[in-house]
Amino acid sequence: MIVAEEITRVYRMGKVEVRALRGVSFTIADGEFVGITGASGSGKSTLLHILGLLDRPTSGRVLIDDRDVQRLSDRQQTLFRLKRLGYVFQDYALIPELTAIENVIITSLARGVSEKEYLGRGAEVLREVGLGGRTNHRQSELSGGEQQRVAIARAIVNKPSILLADEPCANLDSETSKSILDLFKQLNEDLHQTIVMVSHEKWHERYFCRIIDLKDGRINSMRECNVNR
Amino acid sequence: MLENLKVASFLAFKQIQRGSKGTLILTLMIIALVFVNLVFLPSIISGVVETFNSQSINFNYGNLVIEPREGEQYISDVDTLQKKVERIPGIAGTSPRISTGVTYFYKGHDARSTLYGINPQDERSVTKIHENMIRGEFLSAGDTDTIIMGAILAGTEGEEGGGLPTLQGVQVGDSVEVAFPNGERRTFQVKGIYETQSIGVDTSAFTTTDPVAQVLGLEDQASEILVKTAVDGQEEMYRTRLFSYGIQQQVFTFQQKAAGFVDQAIQSFEIINAISTLVSLIIAVVVIFIVIFINTVNKRRQIGILKAIGIDKQIIINSYVLQVLFIATLGALVGIVLTAGVIYYLTVNPLVFPGGPVFPVVEPATVLRSIASLFVVSVIAGYIPAWKTAREEILDAIQR
Ligand SMILES: Nc1ncnc2c1ncn2[C@@H]1O[C@H](COP(=O)(O)OP(=O)(O)OP(=O)(O)O)[C@@H](O)[C@H]1O
Ligand SMILES: [Mg+2]
Repeated sequence: MIVAEEITRVYRMGKVEVRALRGVSFTIADGEFVGITGASGSGKSTLLHILGLLDRPTSGRVLIDDRDVQRLSDRQQTLFRLKRLGYVFQDYALIPELTAIENVIITSLARGVSEKEYLGRGAEVLREVGLGGRTNHRQSELSGGEQQRVAIARAIVNKPSILLADEPCANLDSETSKSILDLFKQLNEDLHQTIVMVSHEKWHERYFCRIIDLKDGRINSMRECNVNR
Repeated sequence: MLENLKVASFLAFKQIQRGSKGTLILTLMIIALVFVNLVFLPSIISGVVETFNSQSINFNYGNLVIEPREGEQYISDVDTLQKKVERIPGIAGTSPRISTGVTYFYKGHDARSTLYGINPQDERSVTKIHENMIRGEFLSAGDTDTIIMGAILAGTEGEEGGGLPTLQGVQVGDSVEVAFPNGERRTFQVKGIYETQSIGVDTSAFTTTDPVAQVLGLEDQASEILVKTAVDGQEEMYRTRLFSYGIQQQVFTFQQKAAGFVDQAIQSFEIINAISTLVSLIIAVVVIFIVIFINTVNKRRQIGILKAIGIDKQIIINSYVLQVLFIATLGALVGIVLTAGVIYYLTVNPLVFPGGPVFPVVEPATVLRSIASLFVVSVIAGYIPAWKTAREEILDAIQR
């Protein structure tokens, strides 16, 4: 369970303050598939960073399974990200010196998974996102959409209990987007993974249990959807 | 723990494999050259010490020198003393010498230097001057009015000695007149000319004991007795042994006799060496630091990404340290090859010092110390920039 309590995030740039989040509270239950929407600059990425332990809120708390994650030490947070979270960055954030499969398996390596297992699993995940034929390509040899799918594969390879995805389909055509969302849905249903996903597209809504809509750093509306599930 | 090392070496390997080869080679060469510098000068200094020691033993002093008791000018009862010393275990030979300052005259040239009166047989058992005759022959037992002369003293026709005593062109078979301190003059026939590369020896001359003893009015007396020991390098021990066998005279090791000159030279060398070591280590630190720094600054973003996906900071730092260790290892290997080349060259073409030809002597301790200091320096210079970059906030590193 993820609980956000009155989260604010203020960026200070010299004298100027940017209030990216102005008090956001919600609860996401285990196994929920939540969509976050809102205009550009409304604070979606900022919120996801905080949920992903990549950033600290200026005030407020985030509890994951009743644990105040901001209280964890740096090292514990890193371990938490490794063991519990999968994160798809809006700008992919691949390691340019590693090939697609190396990008995908690096966290498995750190988790102590056996070589046979992570190589097999890495190839499998890349196949699932439609990159079976691109495993040994490096970032510079992949298209934007392909890079995005490598980033997705990296986030889901360890079957994390929480998957945070920042516009994971931004660079994909609607057909590929659909297959990725189907994959997410399958993970969500089969493995009971909690998924929080930032999205712009109206048609994504049918995948979500709930939509949190942000506006100027506040929750504009929160609504259950998911009529077709 | 093991996983961490695996991830770190995986990352290090990929970065070296796919990183810039130019930077890699440049860093490698710099480390290699620093290594050469660290090993080269000490090996020359060791070479100088070695040359000096063997020159001193072979031509100037033997291992030990027995000198008259304090306040006396000559050792008396030389025969008895010589026999006594030769019976001491570990003594390979003794050679009594009478030495006196004389003036040599030859074809209008004159030179002031030392003349030694020796017993040729005895001298052969201690020094190696007889093996270094460049013309003519060494003295033999029955000779009375023959002399052998150092190459510098004999000189070359038309060449001034540049401050050193020289007769400018003495040939084997020529006659040389010698004026002793008491005014007496004698003529000797030159039997041979030797060259030892030790200036003190090459500017002197040797004749047999009798003529010198006669002129000076000595009987069974000597200025000094050179002693050759069975092995080199244990002079102190033998010196103590001589005393324990009841030798009453003064006994010096060749190091004591040579002190001053060499000690000072070595000291200056050591200072130069220390400075050069320091400078090259600083260069190594700076270069490695800059290379790793540029490397990590360029990789800020990916360091941030690695942290974001759950790779521990320490693993990331370790991956850079491993890269540095790898480069340092390769650099040291290349350095060893280069050093071997330089040393080989200098062994074939030795440097010529006033004390004799100097062959570089590479001591394993120097090599180990150089490798160790290179590694320490590399690790420090690799660790700091990696540590600084890995400390940054994740989003700062990823986004800017
Ligand atoms: N590092 C930063 N420093 C200063 N201001 C920032 C920083 N990151 C984000 N902001 C500001 O915070 C606000 C929210 O940004 P955020 O990236 O969360 O928006 P977003 O909803 O993800 O937008 P988009 O849909 O374009 O990705 C914006 O006004 C942005 O300019
Ligand atoms: Mg965003």
